[in-house]
Amino acid sequence: MRKLLVVFAVLLAFTVFAEEVIKIGAIFPLTGPAAATGVKIKYAVEVAQEIINGEHPEIELLLGKSAGLPNLNGAKIQFVFADHQANPELAMAEAERLIRNEGVVALIGCYHSSATKPASQVAEKYGIPFIAGSSSSAALTERGLQWFFRIAPHDGMETVFFFEYLKYLNQKYNANVKKVAVVYIDNEYGVHAAQMVKEKIKDYQADGFSIVADVKYPAGATNVDIEVQKIKGAKPDAIFHASYIGDMTMFVKKYKEFNVVPKVVLSYCGGYQDPQFVINLGKDADYFAGPNATTSALFKKMAILAKINEMYKAKSGVDIDGPTLEDFASAIVIAEAINLAGSTDPQKVLNVLKTGTFMAPYFVSGRIKFGPDGQNIYSASVMTQILDGIYEAVWPEQYQTKEPVPQFPDWNKR
Amino acid sequence: MMFLQVVLTGVLVGSVYSLVAVGLTLVWGLMDIINFAHGDMMMISMYTVFWLYTLLKFDPFVSLPISAGITALLGIVIYKLVIKRVVNAPGLMALLATFGLSLFIRNFAQFLWTPNYRFVGESILSGKRILIADIVIGLPQLIAALGSILMTLLIALFIKRTKTGKAIQATAQSRDIAELMGVNTEKVYAVTFALSGICVGVAGTLLSGIFPVYPEAGAMYGLLAFVIVALGGFGNIWGAFYAGILIGLTEALGGFYLGTQFKYALAFLIYLLVLQFRPKGLFGW
Repeated sequence: MRKLLVVFAVLLAFTVFAEEVIKIGAIFPLTGPAAATGVKIKYAVEVAQEIINGEHPEIELLLGKSAGLPNLNGAKIQFVFADHQANPELAMAEAERLIRNEGVVALIGCYHSSATKPASQVAEKYGIPFIAGSSSSAALTERGLQWFFRIAPHDGMETVFFFEYLKYLNQKYNANVKKVAVVYIDNEYGVHAAQMVKEKIKDYQADGFSIVADVKYPAGATNVDIEVQKIKGAKPDAIFHASYIGDMTMFVKKYKEFNVVPKVVLSYCGGYQDPQFVINLGKDADYFAGPNATTSALFKKMAILAKINEMYKAKSGVDIDGPTLEDFASAIVIAEAINLAGSTDPQKVLNVLKTGTFMAPYFVSGRIKFGPDGQNIYSASVMTQILDGIYEAVWPEQYQTKEPVPQFPDWNKR
Repeated sequence: MMFLQVVLTGVLVGSVYSLVAVGLTLVWGLMDIINFAHGDMMMISMYTVFWLYTLLKFDPFVSLPISAGITALLGIVIYKLVIKRVVNAPGLMALLATFGLSLFIRNFAQFLWTPNYRFVGESILSGKRILIADIVIGLPQLIAALGSILMTLLIALFIKRTKTGKAIQATAQSRDIAELMGVNTEKVYAVTFALSGICVGVAGTLLSGIFPVYPEAGAMYGLLAFVIVALGGFGNIWGAFYAGILIGLTEALGGFYLGTQFKYALAFLIYLLVLQFRPKGLFGW
């Protein structure tokens, strides 16, 4: 009998003192065509996990100082990774598996808007929160979902940002940019971005903007020669790109070969923001531009960002880029929400996500707050332009690290 | 003028497709083995070129014999380790085995070299182009096409003229009878896989200056090669060549005039039509 009591006491002690581990599903493209990006995001989420679970007083975040979640007796967060291989069906299946088999209490992901869409519907069905970091298709927050939140600015916001930037170039530098070509990959992300351009340009027709080419290309294309010839034929002043790193790089090579010289090239959140873009193209990457949640040029101005980057770079070997930082933020925000709720009860976490404001000193906007549709209302990006191989913040002027170059020089004069 | 430019692009792109398909038609058409890892062998060649360039500053053209040699060797290894064991089994076995092999090669490449998209930055050809009136011909693309045509010619001559080539043809017609006539069919299979490896090795090298190097780089090329082989007629080298050009032209003209999003859809549509009306392919016998 005494033995039994001892065993019982030990078991009781374990249940009381065993550190609780809270599982959160993280679905990203870890293999397949976008694996390059997916693996980097995984590193960033791992950094977030380290910050949450370890003691990092040097990083002034809510969960940086303490080990684990203070409101849940120091419970640790574990991100359970799943791979969707850029395949929406797989994303959906993995979401289902993570919730049912792994018992995750929330989901983050999926980078590809096309994968985020079905995966977040699974979360909605089971009634657990889903936070998308970098998926930018505006359609995601237009579905009226209760449990879905998104940190990145969506492509509708990005499109407005593009036109405002072009207006700024026209006004300040007399750039005379009017004709726009839209070049996009044939998937959720690209097609929706293009739709946004067609919709938002109506508000800017008075400023003289018009669309002169609409070039949609298949995912996994072996070449983009024909696409570039179509663009060249249309002689655009500005090109809006919704492309991933592989295709974007092929486009730039062909722009050079066919001597396509627009005034401005702006890229939606995608290939341009990947630092590999500069590594692959060297000086040919100069003068391309796009919105970014961060840039290495900003590290000097933002100490916390620099520290996070230091941890990230130790794993990945490269500086943290915008989309990766947004997915990092999704990991931090969900952990903070669980901590503030003091429970993993989905409804309580949901209430915190819906009402709370989260400090995000690693973003130029400084904070995150979700609107009624789940969209982060503070999604402030900076316009960056690659100048001498560095992503410089060029607009809005208060964040400027360098002045923009409003006109592409000829390819042979670089 | 624009029309000429588009046609030229189609022919240049198609020529490289042809070479990849010629490699596949050798094993699929002649040996009746479906090799799903065909495109992945090309990816290995691209990585060979990339690493020789990055580590030793070898120009892709200097690397050509090395990368072709490596993929030839890879072809033999694949034959000895995988195909040989399933060659007498029902066709589905080889199909599944090579499918598994393809997944293995891709994921192993990702494990070893990360999934990053990389480029061979500078070669003696990079950035060079020929301008005729308004028509632009990128030199890397032109050399890739010419190299592919030359290579196809060499393979065709090898199959037609040499004793080994004739042994390949004999084995293709009837393995048993070829063996009765004293042909070492085991060796013939190995040589065919090596030749197939050389084709993708050369194609991968020629493409490494214009196409990103990443673990999935061979996927679309491999897929198109299947279409081209079926279109050109199984085992018909020149058939594969013409079909490759046809697919290149369809992609370019269809893409330009109908919309670039349809370029592969059109290529696959032609394939479906040919399967309906000429199941042996355009040039099949």
